[in-house]
Amino acid sequence: MTRFGRRDESLPDLIAEAGLAALRDAGVERPDALVVAAMNPEEFTGAGNYGSLINTYLGLAQVPAVRVETATSSGVAAVWAGFADIAAGLHRTVLVVGGEKMTHVPTPRVSEIIGRSIDPHERTYGTTMPALAGLITRAAMHSRGLTLREMAQVAVKNHANGARNPLAHFREPVTLDAVMESRLVADPLRLYHCCPISDGAAALVLTADPAPIRIAGIGQGTDTLAVRYRTELTSFRATQAAARAAYAMAGFGPERVELAELHDAFSPFELISLEDAGLMPPGKAGRATLDGETALDGRLPVNTSGGLKARGHPLAATGIAQIVELCLQLRGLAEGRQVSARVALAHSIGGLATNNWVTLVEARA
Amino acid sequence: MIVQSIEASRCPRCRRMVVPGARYCPDHPVAMEPASVPGVGEIVSFTTLHSPPEGFKAPLHIALIELEGGARLFCHGQETRGIRIGSSVGVESLDGVFYFSHMSFADRARLFWRRAGARGEKVASITKSLAKGLFRGRFRGDS
Repeated sequence: MTRFGRRDESLPDLIAEAGLAALRDAGVERPDALVVAAMNPEEFTGAGNYGSLINTYLGLAQVPAVRVETATSSGVAAVWAGFADIAAGLHRTVLVVGGEKMTHVPTPRVSEIIGRSIDPHERTYGTTMPALAGLITRAAMHSRGLTLREMAQVAVKNHANGARNPLAHFREPVTLDAVMESRLVADPLRLYHCCPISDGAAALVLTADPAPIRIAGIGQGTDTLAVRYRTELTSFRATQAAARAAYAMAGFGPERVELAELHDAFSPFELISLEDAGLMPPGKAGRATLDGETALDGRLPVNTSGGLKARGHPLAATGIAQIVELCLQLRGLAEGRQVSARVALAHSIGGLATNNWVTLVEARA
Repeated sequence: MIVQSIEASRCPRCRRMVVPGARYCPDHPVAMEPASVPGVGEIVSFTTLHSPPEGFKAPLHIALIELEGGARLFCHGQETRGIRIGSSVGVESLDGVFYFSHMSFADRARLFWRRAGARGEKVASITKSLAKGLFRGRFRGDS
C-alpha cells in the first residue's frame, strides 16, 4: 500500500504504486485478472471506466478488469470479488487494488460527495455521515451507557498506533484531553472522534496457489439504506450478518481471533463493531478499551495500523489496507508495532452501515 | 401547528409503516398501501451539526422521531434545549419540511383527549400517562 495522507500524485499513480508493489512482493508480473475498487473517481477526479483506466495505466491492458463499488467498503467488496473469481475456478491469480484521491477537493464538497451514499430523502434534511454518526452515538450513550471517555480512548489508542506506522496519515499521538476538547462536529461527536480525508491506495494479490496467508472466511451483511427504516440504531445489523457469514465459512468463531482491524470512521463505531463482530460481550467494549485490552500490548490488539482515525481513510483503499495490515502482522513484518497472532479479523463499513464486510485471515502453519 | 396526519405507506405483508410514502417495502418486494400517521411521537435521537452541508445554516438541529403508528421520520428543529431521547414532540410542516417542536400544554391536552376518546380507554390512558410522567421524572438528566 502507499503512504496515506495528502498526496500530490494522481489516483492512477497511487493505484499503480500500490498495485505494482503488491505484484512485486508476490513475485507475479502478470495477474490473470484485475479487480479495481474506487468509490467515486467520477466526482473526485473526473474520470470513469476505472477498470479499463487502471489496467491500461498499469500495462495490463489485456488483463480482464472489473470495478467494484459498495460505498466506503468498496475495497473489501473487491477482495470478495477476487476471492469468488478464484474460488469459482475462473482465474488463478487476481490483483485487487483500491484507492481514492480526495484531498485536492474542498472539504464541504468532499462531505457532499460522500454524503451521496446516504438515503436521498434523509439527505434533504442535511444529514451527512457525521450527522448520522452523531445521532447513533447519542443513542448509544443513552441506551448502552457508552461514555465520552471510552470513545475518546479509541482515538488516543489509534493515534498511538498510527505513530508507529510509517504509512499512516497521522503520526502524532494525541491526549485524552485533546480529543475531549476538540471542536464539536455533530454533537456529541468531536473532531478527533472522526477520521480524516486522505489520499492513498492499497493492493493485495490473491492466488489459488499456496501462500503464507489464507482467507479463512469472508462475509457480507446489509441493512436498509434509510436509517429511519431501522428499528435498531446502536448496533449494526449489517456487521452482525457479515460476521455470522464469515465465521460460518471459516468454521470457527470469534474466540480464535487474536487481532482486528475495525472500521473506526467515528471512534464509537470501533466499540459498537467490537460487540457486533462478537469480539466483546455486549456493553463491555468501552470498559475493555479504557483498560487497555485493545491496545498494542493488550489481549486483543485493535487497529494496530492506526485505524481509519490515524492511518487515514481513502475510501476504497481502506478495506484493502486493513487486510494488508493483518497480512503484515501475521507474516511478522509489522516493524515497530508487531504483535503475536495467527488469526485476525477485518471489518469494513459501507455507507452508514448499509453494506458491511467481515474477513477472517489465518497464517498458514 | 402540529400536523394532524402525515402521508405514509404500509406493507401489506409485514405491516411496516414508512414515511414519506414509498412504492415498495424495504424488506418485501411488494407494493405498499397508502396510509397516514399522526404528527406526534418521541425523540429517538438528535444531533446538532456545526458544519452542515451547503444550503444549510449552522447550527443545524436534526432529530429522528418515532411517530405514533411506528414510522420514523427525520426533522429539523429550532433548538435542542430541553430535548432528551424519549421526549414527546409534535411535528410541524413548513414548506414541505418537517420540524419537531415541544408540545404546548394545549397540544398535549388536545392529543390526550383525542387519544383517550378515540380508544374509549380513558382510565388506561390516564394511568399510562401518569406512569410515564413518574418514570421520566425519576430518570431525568440521564441522557
